Amino acid sequence: MDSDAFAGFYQRSAPGLRAYLVRVSGNSALADDLMQESYLRFLCASRPEGGEVNYRRYLYRIATNLLRDHWRRPGTACIEDVPEQFLAARDGLAHIDVQAILDPAMARMRPRERQLLWLAHAEGYSHREISEITGLSAAGIRLLLFRARRKIARLLRKQIAAERRKA
Amino acid sequence: MRFRTCSYEKELSQALKDGHWPEGCGSELRTHVDWCGHCSDLVLVTQTFQRARTESDRAAPCGSPSLLWWRAQLRRRNAATERVSRPITIAQTFAWFVTVLVGVLFVGSQYSHGLHWASWWSEFVPPRAFHLVPFGSGQVDWNFLLLISGFGVLALLSALVVYLAAERS
Repeated sequence: MDSDAFAGFYQRSAPGLRAYLVRVSGNSALADDLMQESYLRFLCASRPEGGEVNYRRYLYRIATNLLRDHWRRPGTACIEDVPEQFLAARDGLAHIDVQAILDPAMARMRPRERQLLWLAHAEGYSHREISEITGLSAAGIRLLLFRARRKIARLLRKQIAAERRKA
Repeated sequence: MRFRTCSYEKELSQALKDGHWPEGCGSELRTHVDWCGHCSDLVLVTQTFQRARTESDRAAPCGSPSLLWWRAQLRRRNAATERVSRPITIAQTFAWFVTVLVGVLFVGSQYSHGLHWASWWSEFVPPRAFHLVPFGSGQVDWNFLLLISGFGVLALLSALVVYLAAERS
């Protein structure tokens, strides 16, 4: 991959990767750091065959591992232990309308649930692909995703009703 | 919570992924989604996340890819340099160890004979003033010392060959 090809790939993949990292970590500064490190590791490593689709999946795997490493570091809370309100997304996208519905709902989800929901519904990855990215089993993902989807659908409906009442 | 699936889930997921929902779907699927809680959840969640993803694409600030590219090049170069210089460092350490060992053995063997060779420095006598005595009977085996020195030189040359080969690759 030469410099121009990378620039094109970066322009296409960076917004999605950043959104994923912001949504899961709930910290836009951390998301920016992890995004940069993800691209650096992506460029330094031997990349998989199969073109951009596989490149993108590989990039998400690097980012997911970096998130996991971050949570494993001493003094950093584990992905399952971080208080939910602490993880409310606080990036610079607050003015967007969908955020008014999605942000409060996401703030009440566990980070692992956010991760799976985003990969499945925002990125459109299959259970097998999510399994490759996260290292979880495909059967476990199916069950976790089913529960997470029911939970967030209930929260989204509440938010939509609240927004309608306000309007 | 009971885990259940719906027979329409796969078809609906594909339609949502391809952006065919709802206009590109049949009336049967649309009617089904109206009363199936599982499928209506899927539609609501997928559409919300897809919108959030689209908005993120428009709003996310992106850094410079060329800066990242050059940072990666620098990191790769540093890693390569470190990888190449590792055998040289090991060979240098080994060579220093051999040199010190030979020096200590030599001084030790000469010390046991009263350091007669020290007069060599003051009188500038020819090198034959050294006591070249066999190692086996408490005296130095020069063949052994030459062998160790040879190993040291060989290690240095090996490191040089590894360095040149790695640099070419």
